Amino acid sequence: MNHTLLAPAPASADEARAAKIDVRGLDFFYGASQALHAVDLAIPAGAVTAIIGPSGCGKSTLLRTLNRIYALYPEQRAQGSILIDGRDILAPGADLADLRRRVGMVFQKPTPFASSIRDNVGFALSHYERLPKAETADRIEDALRQAALWDEVKDKLGQSALALSGGQQQRLCIARTIAVRPEILLLDEPTSALDPIATARIEELIQELSDRFTIVIVTHNMQQAARVSHRTAFFHMGRLIEVDETARIFTNPRETRTQDYITGRYG
Amino acid sequence: MRWILFRRRLADIVALCFAGLATAFGLACLASILWTTISKGGAAIGPALFTEMTPPPGAEGGLANAFYGSAVMVLLALAIGTPIGLAAGVYLAEQGRHTRLAAAVRFVNDILLSAPSIVVGLFVYELVVRPSGHFSGFAGSLALAIILVPMVVRTSDEALRLVPDRMREAAFALGLPRWKVTARILMKAAMNGILTGVLLGLARIAGETAPLLFTALNNQFWSASLDRPLANVPVVIFQYAMSPYNQWHALAWAGALVLTAFVLALSLLVRLAARKGRHG
Amino acid sequence: MDSAAHTLKAFDEERDRVRALISEMGGLAEEAIRESIRCLMQRDLEGAARVVEQDRRLDAMEAEAEQRIIELIARRAPMADDLREAVAALKITGVVERIGDYAKNIAKRAPLMENVGGIEPIALLPEMARIAAEQVRETLDAFVARDAEKALAVCAGDRLVDDYYNSIFRALLTHMMENPHLIGPSAHLLFVAKNIERIGDHATNIAEMVYFAATGERPPERPRGLDPAAAR
Repeated sequence: MNHTLLAPAPASADEARAAKIDVRGLDFFYGASQALHAVDLAIPAGAVTAIIGPSGCGKSTLLRTLNRIYALYPEQRAQGSILIDGRDILAPGADLADLRRRVGMVFQKPTPFASSIRDNVGFALSHYERLPKAETADRIEDALRQAALWDEVKDKLGQSALALSGGQQQRLCIARTIAVRPEILLLDEPTSALDPIATARIEELIQELSDRFTIVIVTHNMQQAARVSHRTAFFHMGRLIEVDETARIFTNPRETRTQDYITGRYG
Repeated sequence: MRWILFRRRLADIVALCFAGLATAFGLACLASILWTTISKGGAAIGPALFTEMTPPPGAEGGLANAFYGSAVMVLLALAIGTPIGLAAGVYLAEQGRHTRLAAAVRFVNDILLSAPSIVVGLFVYELVVRPSGHFSGFAGSLALAIILVPMVVRTSDEALRLVPDRMREAAFALGLPRWKVTARILMKAAMNGILTGVLLGLARIAGETAPLLFTALNNQFWSASLDRPLANVPVVIFQYAMSPYNQWHALAWAGALVLTAFVLALSLLVRLAARKGRHG
Repeated sequence: MDSAAHTLKAFDEERDRVRALISEMGGLAEEAIRESIRCLMQRDLEGAARVVEQDRRLDAMEAEAEQRIIELIARRAPMADDLREAVAALKITGVVERIGDYAKNIAKRAPLMENVGGIEPIALLPEMARIAAEQVRETLDAFVARDAEKALAVCAGDRLVDDYYNSIFRALLTHMMENPHLIGPSAHLLFVAKNIERIGDHATNIAEMVYFAATGERPPERPRGLDPAAAR
């Protein structure tokens, strides 16, 4: 894995950090309609980057290009380049399975598989690595601990995952994703289906994970973006309007459109 | 104003009466069938029914060979039809979701679903019985399988399509290959629906008579060979009911009762499985 | 420089209420400054007592404004320019209240001003107070309008008040040396002049807060009047 220090536009001390993901000139199409226009965005490693914007601005679309999950649908296509650790994942020969192993994704509605908790977490793990049973169990425990779920389920690993509460299921999905040790975590509105307490726990989890992973979170809740992220990118109608340190975006943004959106003057 | 209210109430009551009467009528018919079956068939129920073979006219006996033959053919039909139906259902739901081929397959499947079973029997007769020169249990199984397949295709297609796309995306996002996603994750999620479909298919083919007339026919004696005509419950009922012999009538009713009870049990099983699936 | 209205009208209403409150406080403070100097010059003891009494109203308004701003922050979660304005508003109410206190202090000295007619420098005081009061008015107008330019103008205008003060200071010192029997009242006048100079400084402080609220940056370094300590 080579770390390429890519140089984005004006250098601040923060941006000079290695850009884990470098989106360059990205266009995205749903059939004939264009959803993303010439997006240039550098996402630094080991930090949480939030993507905010009004409905339909393309934030989820952008997220789904980062692990090429859009490739499941033939009428969706992307143009441009997305460099992860210096390698373009949109290039024709790019290895999808490897990409999806290094980039994990958690979705808006918790989607545990219809099997036991243990199987949920261990399934992808045993697909990628042939481990002895004891080590697999260790890895499962490790993932559940990191997802702050171990204490609640350690006595019932064999139970169906569907019996857990919404917040627990979402943490299970997170555990399942981080069990294969990805480098990047993509979170698509991970708490919008959860109650405030479950939301707070997951936000705390995101903070804990931010040291070890590069996290990109899409959220329509601005306060959440303000709470959990280090950098925030504002999108509007498929274009990146502004990206900066979160503290700066929420106290003194450069662009009027950004300010209008975050102060509730939009629409 | 009060007249309008009164008229509405009147219309309400009249409609309710009609609905009630219709329900009562349907229930009455059902009750009558069940009662007749139970009372007429109950007389011949006994251990002998399951141990004795079908008797010659005028003698006492049982339906052992018929039960055996039915069981063998139905199970073989399941073994042949379920994998084919599942594979087609998986294709329709996963690979060919919106392709023209899938649309065509679904269309043809729906036609087959409602195809008269006697036509299926005739088809297998032409295909297998005539060239081989004799009726056979195998031909019977084949006919039953052909009836089973469209049912399994339909239900597994629907069951798999009910699995939300998020689950597919979640599995693919983990980097799992397509076959693993389908086989291990999606099937598991859809298992309830698929199982229901199979059980319902089983209930249907257990009672099919017309196709068996052209394929397995019947066998008065014990036979375990699939290459020869094989005894089976529906055809036995058919033959014995139309005969002039009382013992044969009694046996026919008994067979009908057992068949009905079997289908009833299967339906209950389906219900139970569905309930468990919801709470699982 | 006000941008579009908030989608949530209640936000705009609450913010406008706070602005109105601050504006009213400014009006009261301005009035107090003018009245206190007038009563001082004309030895209107009843008027002076009224000024002292009115200051209590200003204190109450500060408490009310503070309460409203805290509620606005809690309920509306203001961001960016709204947040800066809310924080500035909170600080500004405190400063306006202090300005009122200075005016009260001036009014309290009114009874102590016998035979000050002979002290020439006293003639400069009304003009100095007028300018200071105008500064207060201007800076609060700038706040309500989120006008950074106007705020900068106030900062620049403080020079005038400082210059007045230096001039009065020197003149009073000379006067005191030449008329030792008038040292008492002269000393009081010195304090009065100092109070007005402090009012001018506070107006400038407010202007800096207004500039920050409007632009998100600190204003450039402001030119200062001559340091009185060096005026010897």
